[in-house]
Formats: sequence, structure tokens, C-alpha cells
Amino acid sequence: MKVLIVGAGAVGFTLAEHLSEEGHDIVLVDQDTERASFAQDQLDIMTIGGNGASLAVLEQAGIDKVDLIAAVSNVDEVNLIACMSAAQFGVPVKVARISNPEYFTEAARLESAKQGVDLMINPELECARETYQLLQSEAASELAFFAGGRVQLMGLRVQPEAPIIGRSLAEVAASVKDRRFLTAAIAREGQTIIPGGDDIFQADDLAYIIGESKQMPLVLEMAGYPEFRLRRVMLGGGGRTAVYLAEILEDHGVDVTIIESDRSRCVKLAEKLKKALILHGNATDMELLEMEGVEEIDGFVVFTGSDDTNMLASLLAKSHGVPKVVALINRIDYIPLVSRVGIDAAVSPRLSAVNSILRFVRRGVVVGVAALRGIEAEVIEFSVRAGSDLAGQTLAAIGFPDDSLVGAITRGARVLVPSGDFALAAGDKVTVLAMPDAVKAVEKLFQ
Amino acid sequence: MSARTALHIIGLIVAAVGVAMAVSGVVALVYSGSDALPLFASAVIAVLFGVAANRLTARPKDLTIRESYLIVTLAWVSAAVFGALPFWFAGVASPLDAFFESISGFTTTGASIFPDPGSLPRGILFWRSMSQWLGGMGIIVLVVAVLPFLGVGGMQLFRAEVPGPTPERLQPRIRQTASILWRVYVGFTAAQAVLYMFGSMDWYDAVTHAFATMPTGGFSTRTASIGAFTPYIQYVTIIFMYLAGVNFSLHYRALRGRPQSMLADEEWRFYTLLLSIAIAIVLVAHLISGTYGTLEAAFRATAFQVVSIGTTTGFATADYVAWPAVTQGVLFFLMFVGGMAGSTGGGMKTMRLWAALKQGVVELRKHLHPRAVVVTRVGGKAVNEGVMLNILAFMLLFVASFIVGSLMLNALGVDLVTAAGASAAAIGNIGPGLAGVGPVENYAWIPGPGKVILSLLMLMGRLEIYTVLVLFHREFWRR
Repeated sequence: MKVLIVGAGAVGFTLAEHLSEEGHDIVLVDQDTERASFAQDQLDIMTIGGNGASLAVLEQAGIDKVDLIAAVSNVDEVNLIACMSAAQFGVPVKVARISNPEYFTEAARLESAKQGVDLMINPELECARETYQLLQSEAASELAFFAGGRVQLMGLRVQPEAPIIGRSLAEVAASVKDRRFLTAAIAREGQTIIPGGDDIFQADDLAYIIGESKQMPLVLEMAGYPEFRLRRVMLGGGGRTAVYLAEILEDHGVDVTIIESDRSRCVKLAEKLKKALILHGNATDMELLEMEGVEEIDGFVVFTGSDDTNMLASLLAKSHGVPKVVALINRIDYIPLVSRVGIDAAVSPRLSAVNSILRFVRRGVVVGVAALRGIEAEVIEFSVRAGSDLAGQTLAAIGFPDDSLVGAITRGARVLVPSGDFALAAGDKVTVLAMPDAVKAVEKLFQ
Repeated sequence: MSARTALHIIGLIVAAVGVAMAVSGVVALVYSGSDALPLFASAVIAVLFGVAANRLTARPKDLTIRESYLIVTLAWVSAAVFGALPFWFAGVASPLDAFFESISGFTTTGASIFPDPGSLPRGILFWRSMSQWLGGMGIIVLVVAVLPFLGVGGMQLFRAEVPGPTPERLQPRIRQTASILWRVYVGFTAAQAVLYMFGSMDWYDAVTHAFATMPTGGFSTRTASIGAFTPYIQYVTIIFMYLAGVNFSLHYRALRGRPQSMLADEEWRFYTLLLSIAIAIVLVAHLISGTYGTLEAAFRATAFQVVSIGTTTGFATADYVAWPAVTQGVLFFLMFVGGMAGSTGGGMKTMRLWAALKQGVVELRKHLHPRAVVVTRVGGKAVNEGVMLNILAFMLLFVASFIVGSLMLNALGVDLVTAAGASAAAIGNIGPGLAGVGPVENYAWIPGPGKVILSLLMLMGRLEIYTVLVLFHREFWRR
């Protein structure tokens, strides 16, 4: 597939990286020639320096032969115009990154009018939604949902006093009646392993569990986490992402406190948010945090513009015993570091946006996809087509690549945990965890 | 600022008052009363003065803010002065009493110096009710609605007269907005008169009482007020007094097919809740003391008096001065609340009270969280600090004016309860107060200077205090 990406910022670059690795042909357009040439050096793609909203530049990029355009620059208007132009050239699939909520509803109208955009991605909104999911459980450092929410992937750190420590995967599996989850990967001391039955759980393992969502509370209990209910959340930084998250939390009856350092922004927040308490101050101001009862809150989320502040504020909150701390990290390469220093989870609007676009691009046999942050792996949900060779074959016979693992199979209303002699049927939804080099081979199996 | 500019517009208003007096004169002729001559004489004087003042001055190109305030205040005083002439000419009142009666009419207060209105000639009574009707929606709003030339200056005049913190524009042009408000007002008045006539009132009583209800005025042609009529008439009056206290913009929306906008309005819910609570308290007091024989009678008397005082109308079907003590306390505090912003009701307006209460809660929150940035929200919208300070300062000035008024009346030898009741009833544009100025008493016995003080309070209440008080600011007169 030929893909045109407008904007070589973090979203565009990461998207180009993933799609290129999957074998798509990428043309990347960015006004900043330096950024464009940097991308060309790093990735096996073609880059063009120029305005992505200009027809001349788009023609130069060969827009008439493009199968998909992803306009992901950080300027909404450029993205919208690029998609509208692409529509005139008959590009079949158009994806735009739109951050301004006013355009978001406006564009929904455009969408329905079949004028321009097939998919709107709002990175801040996606990130807020993801953060809300993460806040739902104390343990999860990563969460992704498949099969309409019935299947879940959860990354969690095994607590030192967890009952499963020192026991093998097979022992643990045998101890659960009617088990519908499995351990798909373990990150230990910077290395990722796809575990077998005789691997043994150790304290501080970062375990990735795939299974039925209903059984996740049991998983949490075994990993050493007490019951958790989200009642009060404190947000550091009152940007767009924070507003989205605050709105979601308010809707779910969670008390929200926002700390914002800019006074006029505080007033805007107070006008916008009906229930949230808005404080004027710094997210790293210990005195303020203590005065506002940081010890009693259930979750602390830092969304300021600076990674440094976010890390520092998160560590402060963690040192005050906040059960769940989530930080926004813009530098994607910092993200694996975060869980190692004790912050529960990291999110990034850019990565959220990339995930959403990847999910959309791969739709077809691929139903869902999530790129993990703690480890270099992807979780992909495939559907078994009617008439596919796979139907009727056992997993062992199909021969999945070594660096991949089938986590769960959704058949009708049931979620099944596979073993080697499990036979697939048409219509099954198969959730697979794969390391980067195995992704293509797994995808090939399902084509 | 030129006196000529002011005279031009004031002339128009005085002439309009003259025409209204002539209409009352016609009513007097119909009943062949002796009051036709005084009414026509007053009408001629007013029209002559008005036309002369208007013709001899140039039409203002635009109005400065100071001119607007001066014009509005002077217009109301002039209307009251010329409107007082019939009472004086007919020989039923001294000049001061006539002025008091007239300004009480125009400001929709309904405080009277007549011990026995039933004995007055019919043309004079008709004029009394009509002055309230003119004052209710506002004589300036009427002028703005009719005259096209007051485009931009019109908004300033409009703002200076319309009750409530921030008048709402229903249409792009101020003239259209003013004319919508008047049409709604006329429509309700007509509907009420028709409903009255179904209840066997004659056209004269129906029209005069409808004239006194929609502006929340309270002048009656009977000495016993609405108490002289059947329970049906009393219920109709309760409903229309209640409606008069509702924001006319809401009426307009409801009539345009969006009645849900009323239910969604926070202030409306507060206004209705407040009246309901007051009715509940007073009703329980009656049931405990057994003032009334039947539940229906107790409820009717309670609802009537509460709605009448709460909307600042001032009609009566019972002498609440003789009621249990707690009921008088409830009614006294209701005097300060008044109707909704944008209604014809007086008082501080429920909007201001509601906003102030919310601000109070916000202040509590700020005490708990010293670093919190909190905005006060009324009807889902944030109220900016300037508007909030305006509201709080208004309430302070309102209460301060009430206190100063009470003390001055007290100093003139009026007992404290009567003085407080009269002062509250005047600044709230209600009419009947407490004790010596209760619903079955009148204001004739108040000393002369007291009547002047009360007249000023009525004017301040009707023009929302600021419009009158700015005239007393030093900078107002600075060139």
C-alpha cells in the first residue's frame, strides 16, 4: 500500500516507522526540510520538503497513486485541507489529526458529507481516554481492549508480596478454575521473554496478561494488588488533554482537582469544567499538594508541557503514597524508563494517535491493534475469514512464529484460552502478541 | 450634557402621559362623573407642555451615558408630577398627597393615601390603575418601542430602566426587543381581563385590575382590594401576579413554542421554589393556629398574600397584620426578594439573590482551598467578577437605602415596625407594609417629609437604585 503522511513530527515519524516496518511504501511531507531529511536518514522512506496543504507539493508526492493519506501535522487546518485536496485526487482513505474540538464536530459534518475525512484522530482525546482506562486499576501500566472490550491486555508489575512469586506459570494456571487468561510476555531486567509453562514469576516482573476482562480482578489479586476504587484524582497541568480527562472523570462521578500554573488558564478551566476544583499553582509544589490532601487521593496524573516536570511531579506524588500515578511523556524513547523509576504508567497523545491510526489502517483482517510501550511488542486482533485456510486447523499445525503468542480467542460470546491442540473456526477473533520482527509473518498467516 | 436633549425626550413622555389621562377622562364621561373635567384639564396641560418641550428642542443625535441616566430619572419624576394633577384638580388630595399617589402608581408600588378608594370617582380610579400599567413595562421602554430614532442611545435608556443585572436582547434591534416585551405585556393584560369577565366582573373592574396586576402594581378600585371579589377572581389574580413576576423573555420564548426553556431556567426554578416554600410555611402556621375554617380558605388566603407580596404586587384579600407572627416575618423578608430579573416585579430580584447565594458557596470553597480559582456559575454560565460585584453592591445599596429610609421615618415619629415596613414596601415597590401601613391601613397619616422620603425610595426601587443614585455622584455634574 502506498501511504502519504503529512507532517514529520513525533506522530508522523512514529507512524512512518511502524507502517514502513510493515512493508508499506511511505512518502512523508513536511515543511521543515531538516526534519524531513532526518526522517529520510532514519527510515526507509521518501521525504519531500514543502507545505502539505499545497496542491503542487501533494502532486509532487504522487498523490494520484496514493491509497491512504494520513495528515498528522500539528496544524489542524493544514490537515483538513490536505485531506480535502486528496479527496479531489480520489485518494480512497483519508485520515486527519484534528486537535481543536470545534473542528472535531465541524469535521464530523464534513465526514458525513463525504467531502474529505474518513477518520478524525484527536490525539489529546485519545490520550485522555487511554489515561482514564489506566486509572481504572491501580496495577495496570498498560491497557488495551479487544473484541469490543471483552478481551483485555494488561501490563502490570508483580508486587513483591504477590502470592504467585516463586511459582511457575503452569502451577499458577492449574490453580485457577475455569481460567480464561494467560501470560503473554514478561519484561524482566530490560529483556522481553515470551514465557513457557516452566518459567517462574519473580518480584518486579512486568507481566503482560491477555484474557477475558471479567477475570482481570482475579489477575490483580494474584499479582498482589488490593481492591481499588477511583474516587479522587488530581491533575497537574490544565491543557487540552487534561480538560478531556477531567470531563470523562466528572461524567463518571470522580472528584477532580486540577493544578495549573497560569492564572488566566485557571479561569478558563473554571468556566469550562462544572465540578472540578481548579487550583492556581505548580504541580511540583509540595506544600500545595500536601495542603490539598495528596495523601488521600487515588490517582495523580501530570499533563504539563514539560517531561521533566511531569516526571518530577509523578515521583513526588508516588513518594506521598498515591496508589496510581500516570505521567504524560512526550519523548517516546523515555517511556520504557518511566515504569522503571516507579511511575505507574506513561501516556503520550502522540503515541495514542499513532495507535488509533494503525488500528484504522490495518482494519480488514486486523480488527484491533495496540503498540505496547513498556516492551517492543504489538498486540493485534485478527479475524478468521470465512473460507480461510486457517479454519479447522489447530494452532500447533498453523505454526505461529517463535516471537509471537496467541493470547485469547473470542468465539461468539465466549472468550477462550488456547492450547496447542485448539482448532480455529471461521469468524473467530484471535488476539496475538507479537515482537516487531514477527508482526509481518503473523499478518501473512491471516491474509 | 444639555438640558435641551433631555427636554426633547421628556416632552414626548409627558405628552404620552397626557394622552393616557385623556383616555381616563373618556371613562369618566362614560360614567358621567364630576372627574372628567379635572382629567381633561390635566391632559391638556400635559400634552401642551410635552409638545412644546419636544418642538422647541432639537432631536438628539446620540446620547451620552450621563444624559441617559438624567433623562430616565427626570422622565419618571415628570410623569409623576403631571400624573398627580388629576388627583389635585379633582380635590381628592393635597398636592403632596397627589404626587405620592402618582409616583406610587407609576413605580407600580401601590401604596395609597386614600383610606377608602371605593368612594373615589371612577375616572380617577381608572387613571390610578392606568398609571401603574404604564409604569410596569416602563415608560421609556414604551418610547423606545415606538420611536425609531433612539437606535443606539435607546439601549442605554433601556438598560437604565429595565429591571435585572443585564437586560437580554431578543432581537438584533433594541426597538424590536422593546416592542416584543410590550406586546407580551399587552397580551397578558388582555387575557387576564377576559378571564376576569368570565368570573362575572364588569369590564371596568376587569380592566382596572388587569392594569394593576401585570405591572405588579396593586391599586384596586375597591376598599377591600381583591378581597371584595369571588374565590375564582382571587385565583385568577394569584396566577397572573405569579406570571408578572416571571422574566418576560421567558414568556416570549414559551409563547414562541418553547415552554421547556422556562423549566430549564435556574432563576425560574429558584423563584418558584422560594414562593412555594413561603406558601408552605405560612400555610402550616395557619393550620396550627386555626385562623381559617377550611383548608381551601387557608390555602387561598396564604397563596394570595404570599404571591402578592413576593411578586411585589400588593393586592390583598386578608389583613396579614392580624396573622400569626411567623407569617409576617416570612412576608417581610419576601419584600426584599421580589420578582425575576426582566419581570415587572420589584425588590432585589431573584436573580441577584440567587447569584449572591452561589457566590457565598463559592467563598466557602475558597476558604477550604485558598489557592482555588473558582467562578460563580448562574444558569450554567460563568458570571464575571464585574457583574458579580455589581450585584453585590446593588444588594448592599438596596439594604442600606432601606435602613436609612426606616431610620428617617422613625426619626419623624413613626413607630419602628411601621417605619421598617413602609421603607421596605416603598423601595421594593410593593405597597402595603407592616403595622400602621398594613394592607387595611394607608399612608395618609405619614408626615409630609416622610412621604417625600418614601417617594424617593419608590423611584430608586423602580429604577434599580444605580440610575437614581448616579445623579448624586460628584462626577456626574462635572463638566
